[in-house]
Amino acid sequence: MKLKDLLFKLWVIFSGIIIISVTMGLFLYLLYKGIGVVSPEFIFDSPKGIPLGRSGGIFPAIIGSLMSGLISGLLGGLLGLCTAVYLTFYCYSEIIRKYILLALQCLAGIPSVVIGLFGYTFLIVGLGMNKSLLSASITLTIMIIPFIAIRMKKALEETSKEQYISSLSLGIPKGYTIVKLVIPNAFKYIMTSLGLGIVFAMGATAPIMFTGAVIISNVPGKLTDPFMALPYHLYILVNEGLSVEMAYGTAFVLIVVVLAINIICHFIGSYEDM
Amino acid sequence: MKDHRENIFRIIITIGAMLSSVLVLLVFFYILKESIPFFKEAKFSDYILGDSWSPLSSKQSYSFLPMILATLYISFLAIIIATPLSVGCSLLLSFNAHKKHTRIILSFIDMIAGIPSVIFGFLGLVILVKFLEKNLNMVTGESVLAGGILLSVMLFPYIVTGCTETFIKGKKIYYAASQSLGVSKWYTMRKIMLPFAANSIFVNMLLAFGRAIGETMAVMMVAGNSPIFPKLLGRAETIPSLIALEMGTATYKSIHYSSLYGAGLILIIIILIIQLLAYMLNKTGMRRF
Repeated sequence: MKLKDLLFKLWVIFSGIIIISVTMGLFLYLLYKGIGVVSPEFIFDSPKGIPLGRSGGIFPAIIGSLMSGLISGLLGGLLGLCTAVYLTFYCYSEIIRKYILLALQCLAGIPSVVIGLFGYTFLIVGLGMNKSLLSASITLTIMIIPFIAIRMKKALEETSKEQYISSLSLGIPKGYTIVKLVIPNAFKYIMTSLGLGIVFAMGATAPIMFTGAVIISNVPGKLTDPFMALPYHLYILVNEGLSVEMAYGTAFVLIVVVLAINIICHFIGSYEDM
Repeated sequence: MKDHRENIFRIIITIGAMLSSVLVLLVFFYILKESIPFFKEAKFSDYILGDSWSPLSSKQSYSFLPMILATLYISFLAIIIATPLSVGCSLLLSFNAHKKHTRIILSFIDMIAGIPSVIFGFLGLVILVKFLEKNLNMVTGESVLAGGILLSVMLFPYIVTGCTETFIKGKKIYYAASQSLGVSKWYTMRKIMLPFAANSIFVNMLLAFGRAIGETMAVMMVAGNSPIFPKLLGRAETIPSLIALEMGTATYKSIHYSSLYGAGLILIIIILIIQLLAYMLNKTGMRRF
C-alpha cells in the first residue's frame, strides 16, 4: 500500500519535472542559439552566399510572412466573424446551424497538408493562378476559417445574454445591438482568436509550399508576386543542409514574430477594457 | 433609414457565413471528386495489399499500407509517451502548485502549442536525431522513434491543458469532502481524481491522436521518408509527408495525382472517426457526472 503511494508520488513529480524542463529547455535553447545569429544585417538583408541562404539575411522572408499572415488574417477574420455572428444571432433554422457547425468541425480536422494539396491543384493548376501571395493567402484563409469561427462563436456566446435581450426589448435594432454591444463586449476574445489564427497561418509550412512560397524572391510588391516565408525558408535551410546557423536565426525570428503578434492582439483586446 | 442599415448588416453577415460554408463544402467535394478516379482504377487489393509505393516505375503500384501503418505507429508511439507524462504533470499542477504558478506554467505550456511545427522539426533534427545517432549506434537517427518522441513533445500542451481543466473541476467537487474525512492529498489524487478523470483523459488522448495523425512538417523532417514498412528504429514515411513530398511532382489528373487525394481522403476519414469517437465519449462522460 505504502509502495503504491510512493510510486504514484514519484510518477507525478517525475512527469511534472520532465514536461516543464523539456518545454522550457527547448524554448531557452532556441533563444540562446538564435540570439547570437541575429544582427541588424541578418534582419534587414536579403539572403546571400552560394547557394543562396548561406549568409546574408532574411528580410524578404519576414515581410513575406507578415504579409501573408495579415491578408489571411483579414480575410479569415472577416469570414470567421460573419460566420460566428450568423450562427449565434441570425440562424433561425436549427438544421442549417447544425450543418454549418458540422462542416466547420470537419474542416478543422483536415490536416493542413491536404488543404495545401487542394490549394495547389484547385487554385494553381485548375484555375491557372500564379504561385503568389494571393493564392497562398487564400489557401491559408481556408485553413484558418474554422479555427477562427469556432473560437469567435464561443466568445460571442459567452457574452451576457441579458444585456442583449434587454437591448432588444428596449426597441434597439438587432444589428445595432450586435455592433455596439455584443462585439465590444467580446472584443478581447475576438482579438485573441484572431491573433491565434494569424499565428497559425504564419507558422504553417505545408499549405504554402506549393501555393506561393518560393526559395528566393524579393519583397513582394503586388498580390500576384511569389514570396518568401519564414517557415518555408527554415525548412529549405534545414532540408537542403544550407546552414544550421542561419536556421537557428530564422527559427528565433519566427518565434519572436509569432509571440509578438499574440501579445499585440492580446493587448489590443485588453485596451478596449480600460 | 435605420431599417435599411439593419438589412444591409444582416445581408453582409449572411453572405459572409454562406461564403465560408461554401468554401468548406468546396474543399470536401473537391477532395472527394479528385480521389474517385484512383479508387475506381486501382483495385482494393492494390492499394491496401499491393507490393510497394512506386508510382513512377513502369509497373505502377500504389500501396498505402506502409504509410498508413507508419502514420498510426508514430502517432501511437507519441500518445504512449505523452499521455502518462501529461497526466502526471496536470496532477502536479492542479494539486501541488500555487494557483498563480499553475497559471503561469499553463500559459507557458500553451505558448508551446503556438510554436510552428517546422521549428519542432528543426529542433528534433539537430537535438533528437543527433542524440539517437550517437547513443543507439544507428546509421541515421531519422526513424519512427525520433518521430514519436518529437510528436509527443508537441502533444504535451494539448493533453496537459485538457486534463488540468478536468482535475481542477474534480478538485472543486470532491477535494473539500475528502479532506474533511482526513484522506491524504496523494490518496485523493490516486483514488478519486484518476477515476473521476479517466473518461476525460481518454477523450483528450483521442483528440491528441487525431492531431498527431495530421501532423506534417515535424514528422517529415525527422522520420526519414522511405515508403517501407515501419520499424521502431527504421525510417518511415507518413501519409502527410507522402502528400507534401509528391504534391509537386505528380502530373495533373494522372492516377498518381489522384492517389495523393486518395491518401488524403483516407487520412481525413481516420481523423473524422477518431473525432466522432471522442465526441461521443465526451457526451456519455458528461452524463455520468
